[in-house]
Amino acid sequence: MLSRSIARHRLMAELVGFLPLIIFLALLTYVGLNAPNFMTLFNLKLVLMQSLPVVLLVTGLSAVVMAGGDDVVSGGIDLSIPATAVLCAGITAVLLASGLSLFVASLAALAAALAAGAVNAVLITRLRMTPLLTTLAMFVALVGINNMVTSRRRINLTDGHIGLLREDFVFGIPLGIVIVALVVLVAYHLLHRTRWGLNLQAAGGSRDAAEISGLKVDRLVAQSYLLAAFMGFLTGFFVLARGNGYSPGVENNLMLEMVLANFLGAAFSPRRVVTMWGAVLGAVLVAAISIGLKTIGVNVFWTDLVKGALILVVVALSAISQRVQ
Amino acid sequence: MKKIVAAALMAAAAGLYAIPATAQEDGLSLEGKTIGVAVVGTQHFWDREAFNGATTTVEELGGTVVPVDGGRDNQVHADNHDVLLNRGVDAVISILGDGAVEPKFEALKSAGIPVFTVDHPSPYSTNNTTSDNYTMGTTIGRYMADAIGGKGKVAVFNAFEESLRICGIRTGLWKYVLQDYPEIEIIQPELAEEFANAPEDARRQTLDLLSQYPEGTIDAIHVGCWDQPAIGIVQALEETGRTEIKVTALDGGPETLEIMAEEGSPFVANVAQQPYLIGATSAENVARYFAGEELLPQTYVDVMPVNGPEEARQAYEDLGYGSLN
Repeated sequence: MLSRSIARHRLMAELVGFLPLIIFLALLTYVGLNAPNFMTLFNLKLVLMQSLPVVLLVTGLSAVVMAGGDDVVSGGIDLSIPATAVLCAGITAVLLASGLSLFVASLAALAAALAAGAVNAVLITRLRMTPLLTTLAMFVALVGINNMVTSRRRINLTDGHIGLLREDFVFGIPLGIVIVALVVLVAYHLLHRTRWGLNLQAAGGSRDAAEISGLKVDRLVAQSYLLAAFMGFLTGFFVLARGNGYSPGVENNLMLEMVLANFLGAAFSPRRVVTMWGAVLGAVLVAAISIGLKTIGVNVFWTDLVKGALILVVVALSAISQRVQ
Repeated sequence: MKKIVAAALMAAAAGLYAIPATAQEDGLSLEGKTIGVAVVGTQHFWDREAFNGATTTVEELGGTVVPVDGGRDNQVHADNHDVLLNRGVDAVISILGDGAVEPKFEALKSAGIPVFTVDHPSPYSTNNTTSDNYTMGTTIGRYMADAIGGKGKVAVFNAFEESLRICGIRTGLWKYVLQDYPEIEIIQPELAEEFANAPEDARRQTLDLLSQYPEGTIDAIHVGCWDQPAIGIVQALEETGRTEIKVTALDGGPETLEIMAEEGSPFVANVAQQPYLIGATSAENVARYFAGEELLPQTYVDVMPVNGPEEARQAYEDLGYGSLN
């Protein structure tokens, strides 16, 4: 009798655990059937293109969460990556506009990104500051620096190489999609197939156990912030390509989408933890749903409500599933 | 004299508002057509009104609207044009936006989808509907110079002069008028307002500015292209008791006309636009295009100069916002 009850309980937990995926697939099917031209290769390309910056951001963020643990308040998180990306875009745009080469501009942007990552790492691992507050403060500081660098002005793209990221490369696939796919594969290998990646996950899974087994957890956490900053640097080029130049005020939307995609991705993991693949899938699905709602012609005043409600439902179901388990 | 001016303005406004009716009498129709309406954001009055004017008129003319909102993020606004391209709309009305939209316009034009811009001249646009920006720039220049007696120091919020053509015209002509006032000095560096959070950002920047310029060292603050920042500027002046400083701006939305209408308000001059009519006119131009009419590259909609509290109250009424008496 008891075993039957436990079995029913587990079945319930499994069902609740799958509900987010079921809801998303049902919504995608609805959108696919009702939105003209949604189920086309062109639209798939559109979804992937529009999700590229967020895919890069969540790849960096998932590394930080893996190393620091997935508790939103006390675990690993880096809210400053979108600001790093936009700062890199701003620095690159300003230097290109002033006549410097793309190589020099990129080096300057890389230096800025790594400096931001290093400061995050020092504050969090040496001064033991809370990652959430530290990186939120860093976000604000980087936006401030960027405002100084760009004078908050729109800067048109003057280098054709960056624009290539949105151009078709082979068989109608844009170069940007090819590059991001390669970056994601390399990141996957690094995070899941190397000793360093496994140590990173061990550090995030249980800090005490990792330390007892001889891992240098602080060093691993610091490295994850540097990796995240590097992903911010790469994202900067996609921000420039997407906007045909630098436009102020892009960071807020990027941060919202990054956090949503990252934790939405956890809902797709069997253990409800943040994974790189889950985060990437979350980024693509958020873009797909967003495009689908627009294609159907949902009233613009309702779009955010629909998206927000959907995310709340998915995250709530994920929490219920965890509790039931 | 004032009564004559007011009567003339009212007659002009009445005539302009009559255009939709005239359009329908002209037999214009968008029956069977699907029109994408992309707006950069719907938070600000101007954007929302232009959007409402365009969407309502398309529907009144029998067309179907596919609305998309950029949420005041220029990159999202640009991406939304890809969604409309994939949706296969018959034409696109694009309201505002910076250089990020240009490649999207080009793609739409290449796909045979005509683009009708609002306040955004573009080589890929079939027609741009806009206010008479030339009158706006020169009028506000004269009014501001008069308000400070033809001499003094002026700070200017001017983030968009180089990136948005309409702002280039408005601010450029304001500066052109000031060339005839050699005793007016524009404080350098110019200030740059934020796009998304304009009033609060301008309030903070004004407080910083006032701490640098004690009483008697600054005479006016002008906003070069719009009037949302002016709300924050006036707040900062009132907070610090520095209401001797005159404020001027452009757009004449109901919020700023209300501020102007208060006796003793530091907000002394404005030039009001008719955003709803601009959006509606753009939609009519789409219908004219499909009816085979030849359109001029630019359609200008009249503006309404507003000088002092009495004219602010009158403009508020003439523009159909209600009564402030």
